[in-house]
Amino acid sequence: MERSEVIEKFNVLFEEVIDEGPVSLTGETTAADVDGWDSLTQIQLIVAIEKAFDVKFTSEEIVSWKNVAEMIDCFLTKKRTAE
Amino acid sequence: MFRPGDAYQHPFAVTQEVYDHFQRCSQDRNPLHTDEAFAREKGFPEKVMYGNILNAFLSYFIGECLPTKDVIIHSQQIAFKNPVFLNETLDFEATVSGVYEAVNAVEFKYKFTKPDKTIAAKGVIQIGVLA
Repeated sequence: MERSEVIEKFNVLFEEVIDEGPVSLTGETTAADVDGWDSLTQIQLIVAIEKAFDVKFTSEEIVSWKNVAEMIDCFLTKKRTAE
Repeated sequence: MFRPGDAYQHPFAVTQEVYDHFQRCSQDRNPLHTDEAFAREKGFPEKVMYGNILNAFLSYFIGECLPTKDVIIHSQQIAFKNPVFLNETLDFEATVSGVYEAVNAVEFKYKFTKPDKTIAAKGVIQIGVLA
């Protein structure tokens, strides 16, 4: 899966989970940039990603992410390792 | 502590006391729930119990029936399938459908089954396990 495809799919998931209108994720996007992306929503986003893509993160990985780019880096590393 | 497939069961009786307490709590006196004649006019054999009594039962399940008290509800969904009537006892069953260790979250799929084996309601609850 390419990075552009991941960000597109994550964008759809984020819109579904946050449910506050359109979301336009970029690599630089952080929680502070998206209305409704609070701590509880963060949990729902991780659960949604894990369910949708059959991937498991660790709590250490999650707290290390500074933006969406780092989330996607982690996600792609796991998916490519699994292939 | 939680593993996918773990199952929990509990019977819940919709007694007069449960009905009265829920009515007092909700202040909902819609005639479907309080007026036998109105309920029959709408095609039901008797007054219909409040669907959200089942949400109170869900609260009990999460708060009292799990192996830890360190829990908080993140979200819950419920779909009502068949009406419940006074003095029916519902068989409740919940199964762990997902464990998300990175965020200490657990998802259950659940259902309430009526005495006639039809489904009263079913849905999904996600809880957080508190540190």
